[in-house]
Amino acid sequence: MTVILDFISRLAWWLLLAPLLPGVINKVKAWVAGRRGPPVLQLYYDLARLWRKGVVLSTLASPGFVAGPAVAWVAVLGAALLIPLGPMGNGGFRGDVLLMLYLLALARFSTTWAAMETGSAFEGMGAAREVSYAVLAEAALVAAMLSLSVQTGSVSLAAMLEPTAGAGAALLAAGLFTVLLAENCRVPFDDPNTHLELTMIHEAMILDHSGPPLAAILHGAAVKLLLFAVLLTEAVLPMGDLSPFAKMGALLAGVLAVTVGTGLVESFLARFAFRRVPLLLTTAVLLCLFALLVAWKGGAA
Amino acid sequence: MTVGPLLLLAAAGLAAGAAAGPRHARCWPALTVAGTAAAFGAALLVLVGAAEWEWRSGFPVGGEPLHLRLDGLSALFLALLSAVGGAGAVYGGEYWSDRHYPKSAPRGRAWWCLLVLSMGWVLVSSNGLHFLLGWELFTVSAYFLITLDRARREVRAAGWLYLAASHAGTVCLFAFFASLAARTGSWELGPMREQAGLAPLFWLALLGFGVKAGVFPLHVWLPSAHANAPSHVSAILSGVAIKMGIYGIVRFSGWLPVPPAAGWVVLGLGATGALLGIAFAFAQNDFKRLLAYCSVENVGVILIGVGGALLAAAHGDAPWGRLALAGALLHVWNHGAFKSLLFFGAGSVLHATGTRQMSRLGGLWRVMPWTAGLFALGAVAVAGLPPLNGFVSEWLVYLGLFDAVTGRGPAAGAAMLAAIILGMAGALALASFVKAGAMIFLGAPRTQAAARAHESGWRMRAPMLGLAAMCVLLGLAPVFFWPAVARAVGVWHPAWVPEPAPTPLFTLGAVHLVLAVGLIATAAWLWRKTQANGLRRGLTWDCAYAAPTPHMQYSSGSFAGVVVPWFAWILQPAVSLRRPRGAFPERALRLEYVPETVLERVLAPAGGIVLRVSTAVRRLQHGRLQSYILYLLTGLAVLGAIVALEGTP
Repeated sequence: MTVILDFISRLAWWLLLAPLLPGVINKVKAWVAGRRGPPVLQLYYDLARLWRKGVVLSTLASPGFVAGPAVAWVAVLGAALLIPLGPMGNGGFRGDVLLMLYLLALARFSTTWAAMETGSAFEGMGAAREVSYAVLAEAALVAAMLSLSVQTGSVSLAAMLEPTAGAGAALLAAGLFTVLLAENCRVPFDDPNTHLELTMIHEAMILDHSGPPLAAILHGAAVKLLLFAVLLTEAVLPMGDLSPFAKMGALLAGVLAVTVGTGLVESFLARFAFRRVPLLLTTAVLLCLFALLVAWKGGAA
Repeated sequence: MTVGPLLLLAAAGLAAGAAAGPRHARCWPALTVAGTAAAFGAALLVLVGAAEWEWRSGFPVGGEPLHLRLDGLSALFLALLSAVGGAGAVYGGEYWSDRHYPKSAPRGRAWWCLLVLSMGWVLVSSNGLHFLLGWELFTVSAYFLITLDRARREVRAAGWLYLAASHAGTVCLFAFFASLAARTGSWELGPMREQAGLAPLFWLALLGFGVKAGVFPLHVWLPSAHANAPSHVSAILSGVAIKMGIYGIVRFSGWLPVPPAAGWVVLGLGATGALLGIAFAFAQNDFKRLLAYCSVENVGVILIGVGGALLAAAHGDAPWGRLALAGALLHVWNHGAFKSLLFFGAGSVLHATGTRQMSRLGGLWRVMPWTAGLFALGAVAVAGLPPLNGFVSEWLVYLGLFDAVTGRGPAAGAAMLAAIILGMAGALALASFVKAGAMIFLGAPRTQAAARAHESGWRMRAPMLGLAAMCVLLGLAPVFFWPAVARAVGVWHPAWVPEPAPTPLFTLGAVHLVLAVGLIATAAWLWRKTQANGLRRGLTWDCAYAAPTPHMQYSSGSFAGVVVPWFAWILQPAVSLRRPRGAFPERALRLEYVPETVLERVLAPAGGIVLRVSTAVRRLQHGRLQSYILYLLTGLAVLGAIVALEGTP
């Protein structure tokens, strides 16, 4: 019974809380710019509206165009459900961290596949950038997970995220935060608000989607953002040492801090030129590698 | 029935297929499938049964008594061989039919049976001489299959390159088996780990089998042979033939002692091959070459696992080595299944459109829905994504590497690097197969040939369905296959006795099952919701551009445009550009071509130097008798001078 309750509450966390994050980011950006900005709950309204809308499909699109967003949504949600949430969901199994990484990859596969369905050059551009930058992001993520494994001597997310990331926590946080920005297509890698399709990644891929499939994509993207925020928070904070309530509070505070941080980065930075993106991502890889080295040396002492 | 009669039945079926194949196109697939089914049964009996099968006879073949053996390791490969051999026979019957290829199709049927038979012989023979005989027959029959369409120049070139490279490898194997026989005093093969003096021979085996396996710098024959062979031949080449090289490496690193550096070298070769192989694959425009380079990557993944096992064995039999080796051996199977599926799919596309260039295809899903769907499934599997089989084996390899890191053994640093490279290679594999699938099947047809394509018949679709089912089954229920893999691991290292399946593997299978149900249910739900909300078809929006043409789609070259510059140091892309000129420009053209760098930038120049030196030396041989006499006299005079100067007084 408790297992089912635990599962349902985690599902509710991911499904219901995720759309809040883009709203918070937009509010922070508006606040910095001195505007009022859209309501924090804007994405919820958008999703509800999209879910009721009709769909225009490209004449070239196959059924994969609709299946792609569905697969991506389930994959991201599956990856999210593998992550323990403070006091909840400390089950897991050995090697679930790799399943999480590859479920995110499955989401990437189906999103880019669906993007290529329409034969649009813009969507091709977005898909090509998405899969290419992911090569470096993947290296950074594997290095980050390795450093957590070294720190804790475990290959299961529940145990890996329990203690703090130790001496390399700052390095790991910086690396994971950069990967968060890249994987979720935020500034300085991508600008979700630009009006020039030539310079976009994620938004360029979903130009032709509409109605419920678009809602699935947007909700999936929000869950992915929350996933990275939770991962970053739990990797850095010593969750294992706290009481259940303090865990929950720390988790919420951490997610809020990461979200506000993303909003601040977006407010004060401009999007980088595409040729500088690999450089920044390589920096993220190096940060995670150094975190790994610190964990390695720290544990040996 | 026991193993021996089944193997005899298999040999009889295949021999009958080879004999009757050229004349009787109708009964050939039945004979071949019967033979491979018998072999599959024999392999299965060994894999699930308790004992290995061994058979000795005094009857000499080539002066050596017959000694056959089928243990857990060779049975694993035999099962793969028979699955792909049977599926390829069914597929090839329609793909390379008498109607389309009246001259080469009969020949192809006989060589197919001989190829399967000789590979099976290699797997069961336990005598160095017989192993070599089978190996040579296997090499030669593969050559004749690659060059079935020998009227085309590039096919002959590919065949010649394959033959030359294979024989360079075979020379190493001759040296390997001969020195083994010289040092042990017999051609008999079997476990001899205690004779430490045999360790250096491992390098010869690695070189000889590495050429066949397509290990990275030795892979030069692989892309052109796979691309130019008929597709069912490419499937067995990539799915099984290169695995024979892996079999050799695994077999003899298990039977013989290995030098201390072996694990490091194999792990390094694997990691290099995984990353660079897939980088080459991503840059290709020819989809069969893309698949071929992807095989180089997968051989790299397998070698990472094997190298990990060697390292673990060298450092006190660490348990993580078992996981890595189990992952590698399972990946042999998985790669055989999904790569054969993909080559069959590629063959269907080639059959229907007549081109291998992705920039001339597109939009084929409408006319070839079966092929498109099955290719997509194969793409998910080859990219190593859950819930299919590719992920299960990569996950085991990863788990081995992560355990090596957390164990803080001497191999931890190498395992870290290998894990990170495996992650990058996985991301690049995903990119390559999104590109391949999208360029071939999605969007609008780029040429008339693609627009006029047709779906292939059921005899080409049925083997693809079978292989796809295998990919799904291996992904959803990996625990059922664990005992077979664990047996093979136990054979490789006697101390690593077969273990029950690790609990996480069971959990992974369950999660995959839930995931698969969730994926299908959600996709169906979203589709129904979309239908219910009202569905309209319209032109691709494309930022409101009113008159899109198929040529405005993203091309294969532009899709790889971000990554290719990162690897330009090894890919060496050659670009030829014709800019639009004048007030009324007629045509502009940009061609990008990625050469086989190791072959064209390293081996070809080296070969050129050898040829030039030979040509220069050849001037001495001109047929003028007077000069020859002069050479003789000069030689005698020099010899005389040496004797006179150094001679004893």
